[in-house]
Amino acid sequence: MRLSVDGKAVEIEADPDMPLLWALRDLAGITGPKFGCGIAACGACTVLIDGIPVRSCSLPVGQALGEITTIEGISTGGKLHPVQQAWLDEQVAQCGYCQAGQIMSAVALLDEIADPTDADIDNAMGGNLCRCGTYPRIRAAIHKAAALKQAGA
Amino acid sequence: MRPIATLLTALAIVAASGAIAQETVETPPPPVVDPVAGLAAWSKINAVFAHPRCAGCHVEDDQPRWSGDHYGGTRVHAFNVRRGEDGSGFGNPGLRCTTCHFESNSSVLHGPPGAPNWHLAPAQMAWWDKSSAQICAQIKDPERNGGRTLEEVAVHVRDDALVAWGWAPGPGREPAPGSAEATFQALQDWITAGSPCPQD
Repeated sequence: MRLSVDGKAVEIEADPDMPLLWALRDLAGITGPKFGCGIAACGACTVLIDGIPVRSCSLPVGQALGEITTIEGISTGGKLHPVQQAWLDEQVAQCGYCQAGQIMSAVALLDEIADPTDADIDNAMGGNLCRCGTYPRIRAAIHKAAALKQAGA
Repeated sequence: MRPIATLLTALAIVAASGAIAQETVETPPPPVVDPVAGLAAWSKINAVFAHPRCAGCHVEDDQPRWSGDHYGGTRVHAFNVRRGEDGSGFGNPGLRCTTCHFESNSSVLHGPPGAPNWHLAPAQMAWWDKSSAQICAQIKDPERNGGRTLEEVAVHVRDDALVAWGWAPGPGREPAPGSAEATFQALQDWITAGSPCPQD
């Protein structure tokens, strides 16, 4: 089976019912997306498919049609994505385990709403849990990323 | 040319008056021919429509419900899941229904259920927590049933893939009673009997 991941074609041999996360991590060697709960209840495994965030721990790889974007594919030419830069600037991460998923949901949000309100952020990020409780910094970083993105960073 | 123009004008007036007549003359509801059989059929239909697997996504507000014994009571969907600011029923940017709900059920207990086109029903089609009589009146009202005739409601129940999920909701969830085909048949029986509604 052929996947399109971060702009590259990836050939794998997998049961179509295998979760996409397994295929990415174990077969394609893309370990940026993390395993958290395995039931789409925490968001650590979030990747984008054609720009829509999906929980890759629960999506059968046979249904992963379209362009898959992972945390490993959002920086370009050695330059961090504005969301990644804002995450650094705001020192969001504590343990960091959930952050790949948090960032991917934030990327999807900003692709649709350039300057989100706090309510927009709450609506977008409610499915991404952080045991360390970094939510205030996540919110601040999304606002900062919006500004960076609008400034062309 | 003038006679043709006159004829066309006359036809247009006739057509317009027909359209006006269609808008202003109300079609009387079909008579109830068999209230006992009709209400018995409706009871089966209501058991499906009011079941948590169906009603949980037919809500007036913007939060789907989780309910049923296995949920330990009724609660709003976790994760701040919402109808969507655009009213579409497909969620919000960054958290769409299809972020977690795919084409098929997760095989893992407590994993996300799935079916094609997962979304909330339009707000005007809400019957969560309504009585049998209220749901019945709503199903007969095209303004609140998605603009469908009763025959179209029956076909929708029989053929829609997302509706069909209610009878195959995945591990750990109680399915809606009966089947799509049995509910379609109950709707046909109810229509044939004149689609009576309970008084409640």
